[in-house]
Amino acid sequence: MIEGSPITVANETLAIIETRKLVYTYSGAKKAALKGVSVTIESGEIVILTGPSGCGKTTLCRCFNGLIPHFYGGKIEGEVVVAGHKVVDQTIYELARHVGLVFQNPENQLFALSVEKDVAFGLENLAVPRDEMIKRVDWALQMTGIEDLSERPPHELSGGQQQRVAIACVLAMQPDVMILDEPTSFLDPVGAQKIFEVINELNKELGITIILVEHRLDLASKYADHVVVMDEGKVVLDGEPRGVFNSEKARLIGVGVPKATRLYQILRENGTHLSGVPVTSEEASKLLLEVLKRD
Amino acid sequence: MSMFEGFRFRRVSSVVHLLDPRAKFFFVCVLFITAILNSKLPPLILLFFVPLPFVLMAGVQREWIRSMRGALFFAFIIFLFNFLFTYLYTEYPQVPSAPLLERSIAMTLRFLVLVESFSVFFLTTSPDHLGLALEQSHIPYEFCFAFTTAVRFVPVLAEEAQTIMDAQKARGLELERGNFLKRVRNYIPILIPLIVGAIRRSLELAEAMESRAWGASEKRTNLYVLKLKRNDYLLVLISVLMLILAVYVWLYIPIPSLTILLSF
Repeated sequence: MIEGSPITVANETLAIIETRKLVYTYSGAKKAALKGVSVTIESGEIVILTGPSGCGKTTLCRCFNGLIPHFYGGKIEGEVVVAGHKVVDQTIYELARHVGLVFQNPENQLFALSVEKDVAFGLENLAVPRDEMIKRVDWALQMTGIEDLSERPPHELSGGQQQRVAIACVLAMQPDVMILDEPTSFLDPVGAQKIFEVINELNKELGITIILVEHRLDLASKYADHVVVMDEGKVVLDGEPRGVFNSEKARLIGVGVPKATRLYQILRENGTHLSGVPVTSEEASKLLLEVLKRD
Repeated sequence: MSMFEGFRFRRVSSVVHLLDPRAKFFFVCVLFITAILNSKLPPLILLFFVPLPFVLMAGVQREWIRSMRGALFFAFIIFLFNFLFTYLYTEYPQVPSAPLLERSIAMTLRFLVLVESFSVFFLTTSPDHLGLALEQSHIPYEFCFAFTTAVRFVPVLAEEAQTIMDAQKARGLELERGNFLKRVRNYIPILIPLIVGAIRRSLELAEAMESRAWGASEKRTNLYVLKLKRNDYLLVLISVLMLILAVYVWLYIPIPSLTILLSF
C-alpha cells in the first residue's frame, strides 16, 4: 500500500485513467480544489473514491469526463488521460463515448418525459441510427432490470428506480468507464444495495471500469478492487481495500471505515487477533467463529 | 397543488390521443379560421358542437369542462364589451334589441369556440408528442428541448414551492396576512429560494446533458418518429373539406342571422 506518494505506474497499457500532478482551481476560487492528484485506474477495476465532504472527489470526477475544464473553466495544470485521450484536448461529447457520469441527484439528470426517451438521449445526440438505437435502449434497460418501466415518466418513479434509469442512460452509450458520483445518497439502504448489485454486474459481465464515489462503505466495499481516499484536494491513501480501511490514517481523516474492519481493529487493541482483515460482516463473522472455536 | 393540475398530462390513450399532433393542429386551425370567417350566430352554434365528439371519444369531459369554466369569465367580459360598445359607439345608436343581443352572443361564442378547440388539442396531446411534432416541423432542437424540459419540470418545481412554503411557514412566515401589497411581499421569502433552487437545478441539468454528448452532431436522430396514419389522413381530409365549405359559404352564401330566421 502506498500512502500519499504518487504512484509509479507498473503496467502502462492497463491504465484506463491516469492523472499526473493534477492541480485545478475553479474560476473565481482562491484555493485550488485539487492539489497535485496522481492516480492510476486500471481497466476493469471497481474503484471506490472516498473522503470527507469537500475533499475534491466530485471535482476529480468532473476532470475525468471533461466537464473540467470545458464546462467549468478555471485553471488546470498537470495531465489527465482517459482511454488514451488527453482530456484537455477533447470535447465533452467525444469523451462521453468513453466515460459515463452518473450524478448524485437522480431527479436532475433525467429530463425526458418517458424512460426510454431519456435512455435514448445520448444516442440521439450521437446520431446513432434508429434501429441500432432501439436495440441499445432495450439492452440497457434489460441490463439494469427496468424493462417494465420503459414508458413511464421518469419523475414519477422512486429514487432507486430513477437512479437505475440514470445508469441505463449512461450504459446505452456503451462507455469504457462509468463514474458514479454518490449515486446512493438519495436512496434508502435497499435501493442502494440494488444499485451496487447492478454496478457489480455491469463490471463483471461487460468489463466496464467502475469509479464509485461513496460514503456508505459498509455496503459498497465488498465489491471494490481498489480504494482511493482523498483529503483536502490530495490523494492520501491508494491501494487495495483491506489495507486502506485498516490503516490508522483512514480513520483519522474521518472515512466511514466499514464496521467489520473497525471491529477487527477494536478486537486487536483488546488483544484478540483475527487471522485476516474483514471488510464485510460475513467475513467478520467467519473470522470470529474461527477465533471462538480456537479458544 | 390544484393550480398546477392542468399542466400534468394524464397518460391515456384513445383514438384522439393517438392522432398525429400535426393533423390535430391543422384541424384546430381550420376550426379557428372558420370561426373567424363567421360572425352570425347559427354557424357558430354549429361550430361549437364540432369538437364535442372528440372530447367524448378522448374521455376528457371533466378536464374539458374545467377549462371551459375557466374561460367563462373572459367570455362574460367579451359579451359585456360587445354589447355596451356597439350600443354606445355605433354611428346610429341602436337600442338594446334582439339583433344587438344576438351579435354580442355570437362574438362571445366565437371566443368560446377558439378556447374549446385549443383546449381539446392540448388535453389530448402529450407534451412528448407535441415536442416531437415541433422537432419534425424543422423547429431548432434547442427550442423543442426547452419546451419538453419545461413541461417536465413544472410538477417538480410546484412540489419544491410547496416544500419551501411549508418550511417558511414552520419558521413563522404568515402568507395570508395584511393588505394586498403586504401579501405580495410575503411571497418574497418563497420566491428567492425557489429561483435559486431552479438555477442550481438547471446547472446540474446542463452538466448531465453535457455528459451525455449534447451537441455531438449537427443532425440528431430520434427514438420516436411521427408518422401520419389512416385516421390522421381522414382528419386532414375532413378539415380540408370544412375549410373549403367555410370559404365558399363566406364568399357566396349570405347567412341570415337567427333573429331574421325566427321572424319568418
